[in-house]
Amino acid sequence: MPVLRRMVHEVRSMEIGAATRYEQHQLVVGREQAQALFADPALAAVRVHVAAPGDPTRIIAPLDVVEPRSKGPGGGVFPGWMAPVNRPRGGDTHVLRGAAVLAAGYLPRNQEGLIDMSGPAAERSPFGRTNNVVIEFDRADGASWQEAEVALRRGLLRLAVHLADAAVDAPPDVVEELAAPHRPGMSTGGLPRVGAITNLQTQGAFKDVFVYGRSMAGSLPTLFDPVEIEDGAVVSGQYGHPALRNPTYIHQNNPVVAELRARDGQDLCFAGVVLCPEPVEQADKELVSTHAAWLCRAAGFDAAIVTKEGAGNADNDLMLKVDALEADGLTAVALYAELSGADGTGPPLVAGPRRGAVVSTGNYDQRVKLPAVERALGGTRLNIADAEATAAVDVPTAAILGALSPLGAGWLTCRSEQQQLAGQKLGGAA
Amino acid sequence: MRIVHYVNQFYAGLGGEAEAGIGPRALEGTVGPGRLLSQLLGDEHEIVVTLVCGDDYAASNTAVAEELVGMAREAGAELLVAGPAFGSGRYGLVCARLVAAAEAAGLPALASMHPDNPGISDAGGAPVVAAGASSRQMRPTLQTVAAAIAKLATGANLTVADGRVARAARVGQLVDQRAAARAVELVLRRLAGDRESTEVPVGGFDVVTPSAPVDKLASATVALVTEGALVPAGNPDRLESARATRWLRYPIEGMDSLASGKWESVDGGFATTAANADPNRIVPLDTVRRLERDGVIGRLHNELLVTVGNGTQVASARRFGVEWAAELRKAGVQAAILTAT
Amino acid sequence: MITNLVTIAEQVGAPRIVPGRGIPYPSGDPNVPPSAEQSWRRRLVQRALDAVATAVERPTIFEVGDVEEAHA
Repeated sequence: MPVLRRMVHEVRSMEIGAATRYEQHQLVVGREQAQALFADPALAAVRVHVAAPGDPTRIIAPLDVVEPRSKGPGGGVFPGWMAPVNRPRGGDTHVLRGAAVLAAGYLPRNQEGLIDMSGPAAERSPFGRTNNVVIEFDRADGASWQEAEVALRRGLLRLAVHLADAAVDAPPDVVEELAAPHRPGMSTGGLPRVGAITNLQTQGAFKDVFVYGRSMAGSLPTLFDPVEIEDGAVVSGQYGHPALRNPTYIHQNNPVVAELRARDGQDLCFAGVVLCPEPVEQADKELVSTHAAWLCRAAGFDAAIVTKEGAGNADNDLMLKVDALEADGLTAVALYAELSGADGTGPPLVAGPRRGAVVSTGNYDQRVKLPAVERALGGTRLNIADAEATAAVDVPTAAILGALSPLGAGWLTCRSEQQQLAGQKLGGAA
Repeated sequence: MRIVHYVNQFYAGLGGEAEAGIGPRALEGTVGPGRLLSQLLGDEHEIVVTLVCGDDYAASNTAVAEELVGMAREAGAELLVAGPAFGSGRYGLVCARLVAAAEAAGLPALASMHPDNPGISDAGGAPVVAAGASSRQMRPTLQTVAAAIAKLATGANLTVADGRVARAARVGQLVDQRAAARAVELVLRRLAGDRESTEVPVGGFDVVTPSAPVDKLASATVALVTEGALVPAGNPDRLESARATRWLRYPIEGMDSLASGKWESVDGGFATTAANADPNRIVPLDTVRRLERDGVIGRLHNELLVTVGNGTQVASARRFGVEWAAELRKAGVQAAILTAT
Repeated sequence: MITNLVTIAEQVGAPRIVPGRGIPYPSGDPNVPPSAEQSWRRRLVQRALDAVATAVERPTIFEVGDVEEAHA
């Protein structure tokens, strides 16, 4: 028995029109309908744009990204924000795969990044490959940035549901049935039980992730229903390192859970997902790591894949968890981005685990040359490169949204190569 | 071939830490390790001049490298040889900068230091041959250096076989399988008994030689340094909020405390509300000033050294550490309190 | 070195480590009243000074001991 069916509608093109509708893989975004969803005293105006893969378009200062999903007229997605938590779980969820909604523009605590819809940055970001609805915004006079941020977050969630609502009556392209995780005591047929530990950033305003609308700061790790994550129980309000962010879209599509499900019943049993905060104090980091290891054992995991959100501080969480899991006899693999310098010769990890194994999601410092584009959304300047928003620029991978995806949504890695010994010959200098 | 050799004040026999502040100077002929190197080189190559500078002076002043290259040119150098610096951070940094500056100016150069010397990355593309960890390996190290010089003189490039330090670079690339899928593969391999596979080596620890303890705190000068990005309000020098490329210095003479509203942390890696409400939470100036007044320490150094640790490359952080050490020694500081976020 | 991230400090080989109470406030503690915070900072810095006056061979943690906070 499936506990959730994903009714997948593959969006292949997108345009702005008078009214929102979906047919034949095409999504039309009703401009005024979309704008109305952002009506809030903290926002003076919003502008609706679309950007498709291959467009010569750059999106400056992207904020959160959300995948359009809906459970139909009765609602039910984004519990804690747009639905009560104590509603029936599971059932059918309509997914506009290939589409995303995002806000872009100046927000003081947002570390500026970018998405290119074509070229090398597009190849590196999960959001260079989606058809994007981009919301530009003006903060209202007298509103605080915090109020504007909350208004944008609510608006994005509403818009995501509104767009997916348009597909509810369309025949799905694919129906994907998701089973419940394997429980302790069930026969595994000799396969190992492997689960996911998903760490969430919990550092206060502009650096927080919400579970059922609440911060996880101060919580112990908890075993969590993966179906609820599918339905948007985890929403991001985190604006640190662009390449090292897990936007809401990535939680909705938790890549580690997806890849575990893909091998479920063949090479492993998907054992479940543990959500865990990233506390700001060492003693609390040690506490949640110890507790997470215990929880994984209690839930019958033989192995866990551990992920993070953020940079050095979050690396410490990974290290402590992998060490705690391995000390408890579980097999652990962690996903890290490397910090080995632009030329790749520096030490790759600040706080690597003592045991376990590590998957590299790429080098934070590696430079990427991006060609000029024709159109920019979200801003007129790219401050990190001190350049016009549309200019050809040379940026670190760290600036490309999701390029080093801590949850494993990206395609970058690093390999050790003997450095080129390009020293000059004597007398051959000139 | 006419060789100009660079050594620090210690190997030149001018003195130890007390003389580390002396400026650049040129000495005729061979000095210190240059004597043995000269013997090993035989008659074909001659060390015509030895350049010397104090480690603290040279490490805390980036213009020194160019000045020394100019002096080497004046001496008619065809090759500049720097070191061996073994594991010494300041000396290694200076040797590395020197060969980089020489090569940039078209003067062939060769440095020698231990492959783990924190200064090594500043050599850029200039050749560095491996030295032992300490001067106990002087003779074998100089044999490597002499052989490398002889090979360079034939017009050949140095390779790993010549002792050239070729640090493995981590090269980023796009692959077909996303990271989450590779993690599942890796966990399955480990569960099947493969305990070696990993995309990044694990378990490495840095080794730092601890400094000797401070004898008399009551007469010692103590400095405050931080990687918590604490800067004057408004961040006048535009310190990065992440991925630092530099560090800054701020006078704190006569200040009893770091006032809220006058200082702020611009670190992008943590919530700065508590720090900005009371900047002494990042740098304990108020307390240390009181301890100075109470005679617990001799004196508080009159400058605060600041950088940001958020997302900063390890190689840059190591360089800042070497530069801070040189800077503080030069100023007569015996101990530093580093607050880290 | 005063830091809350003791495991990282050990891993990078910092010889003398004094644990602070939180990452965002290595030399303070906003969760206690100002007088208690002052006393904490004084003990923390005093411990750092003890550390620099002590010979060590490898990364060594100098915990700040508990004391009676008479007027806290």
